[in-house]
Amino acid sequence: MALVLTALLLLASLPLRAADTLYLYNWNNYISEDTVRRFEAHCRCRLKQDYYSDNEEMLAKLEAGAVGYDILVPTGNAVESLVRRKALREIDKARLPHFGNVKREFLDIWFDPGNRYSVPYATSVSLLGYNADKMRELGLPTDTWALIFEPKHLKKIKGRVTVLNSQRELMAAAMKYLGYSVQEHEPARWEEAKQLILRAKPYWAAFSNSTYIKDLAIGTVWVAHGYSNDMFRAQQDAAAAKRPFQIGFATPKEGAVLAVDNFVLHQSGRRPDLAHQFIDFMLAGENAADVSNLIGAGNTNAAATPHILPEIAANPGIFPPPDELQRLEMLRDFDPKLRRTLSRMWTEIKVR
Amino acid sequence: MSAARTQPAGLSKWVVTLPPTIFLLVFFLVPALIVALAGFRETGEFGGLAPWPGLSLDAYRFLLGDVIYLEIFARSFLVAALTTLLCIVFAYPLAWLIARSPKQRRDVLVLLVILPFASNFLVRIYAWIMLLGPANLLYTPFAVIVGMVYAHLPFMVLPLYINLEKHDPALLEAAQDLGANAWTRFWRVTFPLSLPGIFSGSALVFIPVLGMFAVPELLGGTGDILIGNLIKEQFLENRDWPLGSALSIMLTACVLLLAGLAAWAAKRGLHGTEAVS
Amino acid sequence: MKRSQFWLWAAALATYAFLYIPLAVVVLFSFNDSVLNAEWVGFTTRWYVKLLHDDDMLHAAANSLLIALASSSVATLLGAMAGLAMHRYRPRWLPFLVLTPVAMPEILLGVSLLLFFRQVLDLSLGLFSILAAHITFSIGFVAVIVRARLAGMDESTFEAARNLGATPWATFRRVTLPLIMPALVAGFLMAFTLSIDDFVITFFVAGVGVNTLPLQIYSMIKVAVTPEVNAISTLLMALTLTLILIASRIAPDVLKGRA
Repeated sequence: MALVLTALLLLASLPLRAADTLYLYNWNNYISEDTVRRFEAHCRCRLKQDYYSDNEEMLAKLEAGAVGYDILVPTGNAVESLVRRKALREIDKARLPHFGNVKREFLDIWFDPGNRYSVPYATSVSLLGYNADKMRELGLPTDTWALIFEPKHLKKIKGRVTVLNSQRELMAAAMKYLGYSVQEHEPARWEEAKQLILRAKPYWAAFSNSTYIKDLAIGTVWVAHGYSNDMFRAQQDAAAAKRPFQIGFATPKEGAVLAVDNFVLHQSGRRPDLAHQFIDFMLAGENAADVSNLIGAGNTNAAATPHILPEIAANPGIFPPPDELQRLEMLRDFDPKLRRTLSRMWTEIKVR
Repeated sequence: MSAARTQPAGLSKWVVTLPPTIFLLVFFLVPALIVALAGFRETGEFGGLAPWPGLSLDAYRFLLGDVIYLEIFARSFLVAALTTLLCIVFAYPLAWLIARSPKQRRDVLVLLVILPFASNFLVRIYAWIMLLGPANLLYTPFAVIVGMVYAHLPFMVLPLYINLEKHDPALLEAAQDLGANAWTRFWRVTFPLSLPGIFSGSALVFIPVLGMFAVPELLGGTGDILIGNLIKEQFLENRDWPLGSALSIMLTACVLLLAGLAAWAAKRGLHGTEAVS
Repeated sequence: MKRSQFWLWAAALATYAFLYIPLAVVVLFSFNDSVLNAEWVGFTTRWYVKLLHDDDMLHAAANSLLIALASSSVATLLGAMAGLAMHRYRPRWLPFLVLTPVAMPEILLGVSLLLFFRQVLDLSLGLFSILAAHITFSIGFVAVIVRARLAGMDESTFEAARNLGATPWATFRRVTLPLIMPALVAGFLMAFTLSIDDFVITFFVAGVGVNTLPLQIYSMIKVAVTPEVNAISTLLMALTLTLILIASRIAPDVLKGRA
């Protein structure tokens, strides 16, 4: 009886697959509710979002055969991987009147020459966030990776440092500090990065991908390696909670990792028409500005600039100045052999 | 008459055996074999699997040829064993108390054990972050153990309670009449009888702990990596499905081997206690 | 006797405290007037108000509850059968089949089910795929607890009933069922919490546009743990408690009726 009842309830709760629904597989909090509503009014359709918090989660799910998403928002290297696996639908630029709004420096990048499949949307930089008052007090430099890799600095902040729990990101930071490219193929150089990390590790509190936002904002962690938009969040939170210190963040002078997130159309999407409509809608300046105002992400849209809050637009950690942009590099996927070698190094880093 | 009786008996055997068997064959064994096979394939250029054929033993060779993976296995089994032990220590008094309380109150007490787990796992872990942080215990192996014990405690309390509840109080009274003190009564009567409860509780704690990655990730420090984290990394960071699959299969094989050994040992042990009951 | 009784109570209460202290933090901080939610700032109910207008979250919570109720009901049924079968007929393959899903790392289980649903059955993902997955990983837990209940049971009770001419079904209803009832209740509760808490497997097998609470919370937590997440957890617990209490009122002999 109870079973029948639950079965009925389940049936009742099955989402009615509305004919005019656009399915978006997106990062959480990447588009404001307000913009979603405006788009729904504009297209007279429904926009439904599912969320992922990491490119790899999304790729694994698609690799195993998940279907039905019209639009994904992958980072550059994931775009390349999706293109190579023929998982994407070509974008018809004739249906994107606002495509010209995209800043030139973000077009025609290696992961999608000619932008056949992708339209850039937002950027972030993996950099250092810090408790500005503490850094001043201890006389520590905040514009260099030395802060998290050099024992002479680290001994002043032992146990107050977190770094990203990501093999690619952390090893890339070490490579940048050593003056190498993050797309390096020579295992010996990665070995050097591993040694650098192992030397610094005893001073770190944890590998953290998300808790550092709060740890920074409440003051238990003084230096964190993380994403610029997360640092922006920590900064805002600390200010809102009237903390007696300020959170700062800056791109180390040795260079850092840049992530460019893009709209792409998945092959399995049922509504490419709505998907194009959506991408063009998001390319309009006031809508494109959303992601910057909402979470402090960098913006790839020139028309968005007037709509972005001035304190965000002026933040070099969020919008790298042109000379700094030169020093930023994007992560690129390696071949399986190097991937396994790096994974082995990462395991050793964790175990030792 | 006797024929009529044996026939339904045979029938009821299949009535209870077939449905779960068929369900698990379809929804577990077949899918599991598909991914187990992945351990013998090659990684695709951009992750996932290389196109057929491309069979190889690379993943297993890679894992078996390197002590570091053995070390992580050993470490994980140690953490699982410690968690299980602590769960037994914490769960026993509680389970005993519930089993001995008046009948109409037992369900409420059981419900109270499980209720916190109807909230959300991550939310509870974050609550622990808030509790452990100010005490300077966050990001330590201690925090990992606390999180593990917390997450798995009900899976020890419930089987233990289920077992203790059916013990006949008359047995204990008889022992008391014979002049046995509380400790002797527990050690000679209650404990041996509760062994099946301890065994099943241990299975439900020890095994899931091995695959757990969220607790070490959120509460642990820079050295707290367990086998669960390693497996997660292969699927959700490194795109190395063959390695992830090989690791999982090795873990599952170890667990089943251990479970088999425990069952064998228990059977021998129970023969000893049967004389008591 | 008195003294050992006292220590027993003390130990049991300490364990209850261990279970409830983090929970108290969860509930308390759902009323905290601070987005950062790191320390107590002031009392507010605004997170609950916000929650009532958060359709995504409420829909996810409803999905989670329904999936948990349905999957734990089926898992209890199948798990009880498996437990009985293992105890009485001892087929050699069954313990292996029942225990392996418990031993399998959940990521592998999630990936394998997704591969199976999509590439073998060519099924579109939805609530059904989540249900099937949750039942799969819960059966083992129920079976183990039912078998623990039956372990060491005197088979003569069942035999006596059978010799008195009772049909297998009557034996089951009158003798076996009352005996394993506490295990069924406990097994159901375990399956329920496993289902309502599952993130990893659900992440893989959830279809487009089908969200459960752990999926929703996980994606939010990456950004920030606002008190709203605490509020929904608190409500979920309250709702679970209410549901179970109502169930025990409606069917008192189901929950309480034991021999």
